[in-house]
Amino acid sequence: MKHISPNQVAAESPVRAPTRRALAKQQTRVKVLAAARKLFSEEGYEGATIRDIAAAAGMSTGAVFANFTDKSDLFREIMTADCETLLDAMREAAGRGRGVEDALLKVFMAGYTFYKSRLPLARAAFGVSWTSESGPTLRALAPIQAMQDLFVEQLNLAVERGELRQEAEAKLRGQMLFEAYLSNYAQAIFEGWSLDALQARAKDQIRILLAGARRG
Amino acid sequence: MTADADKKKAEAKEARRAAARQSQKEATRQRVLAAARELFDTRGYQGATIRDIARHAGVAVGSVFTTFASKGEILSEVMQSRLDRLYGELYRVMPHLRGSTADRLRTMFAIHFNFEAQHVRLFLSHIAAAYDWTLPASAKPYGRTPGLQEIIRGVLAKGVEDGDVRKDVDLQEVVDLLMAAYAWTYRLVVTKGLDAKGCTDVMDRQIGLVCEGFAPR
Repeated sequence: MKHISPNQVAAESPVRAPTRRALAKQQTRVKVLAAARKLFSEEGYEGATIRDIAAAAGMSTGAVFANFTDKSDLFREIMTADCETLLDAMREAAGRGRGVEDALLKVFMAGYTFYKSRLPLARAAFGVSWTSESGPTLRALAPIQAMQDLFVEQLNLAVERGELRQEAEAKLRGQMLFEAYLSNYAQAIFEGWSLDALQARAKDQIRILLAGARRG
Repeated sequence: MTADADKKKAEAKEARRAAARQSQKEATRQRVLAAARELFDTRGYQGATIRDIARHAGVAVGSVFTTFASKGEILSEVMQSRLDRLYGELYRVMPHLRGSTADRLRTMFAIHFNFEAQHVRLFLSHIAAAYDWTLPASAKPYGRTPGLQEIIRGVLAKGVEDGDVRKDVDLQEVVDLLMAAYAWTYRLVVTKGLDAKGCTDVMDRQIGLVCEGFAPR
């Protein structure tokens, strides 16, 4: 088989629209990702097999493997896409905040609102995130890392504005806020907490975690 | 012999059989748990399949499945019996703890990290199992075991009595914050290679931050 590097193709056809083949490939990927998202949500990560995903997408397992290395690759792709969207929503929410506590609360709520309609997928993601094999990879995904940084950033901005003390330990405090944000998903998933209940809880958590960093 | 006596005899025989089946089932259960404990320790949770566990226990794969709903349930049972020992120890220590609420919390968590330090990967699997699809409602993965939470709540309640925890603080919220911090610290063992001492240091700082949040003003 002759391999052509993508660069080579690009050089030969600088402005041409995507080839039919590229389009078909793109459509296959979209179909597989939709099927995978559905099965991960219904069966969990362990329960969803590539075979089932292929069958749900109406194609062979070979066709799935032609587009994705393995199941974890599929899962990462779905999480990356979702978390990029969520990250934008969180940044926008933080910008609307009046003061650091309000900004953080809005960031928490952007997450809970986003995942409200996809809690089973969140549940699958938490399962994966706690395995010692795939957990670190999942947590290291760029948009997830950026979310964590967003919490720290909010604290640093508050220090600059004079809302929080200089020695606010922004890094550790931001990390703890992020973990508190994540831990509340268990209440949403297993106990069916409403957005209002999550908001009340988040508000208290933020107040407790910021208390020692307040000025005065 | 009357037909009645015959019937009674048959019933007694059936009852003996049922009892034998029951004790056999219990014996299988114990063997599976012992085998699982060993394999989880040596190969890790992901690395040990139900088939491996059955072979190690010397029982048929089928009988593992008639006893347990899933591997997650086996893990939950294994952890439960380990943690029961730990909690027993903690309940003995608790009345003797001195110092501020922060100090007492630090001691409690330090005992946890020392206890789990050799089995961190197993503990992470224990946390992951909370999200397992196949886990029956009766299983007790991380977060659904009352033991640790009750102990922390006890320490905090004493703090309220002693006056170094504000009365208007929702203790369950503080418990949940500490549980989240505790779980996260285990991640550092995998990502940063932290040992029990390192975990304790990180947890101590986190406890300090949480305590500032409920200290009397």
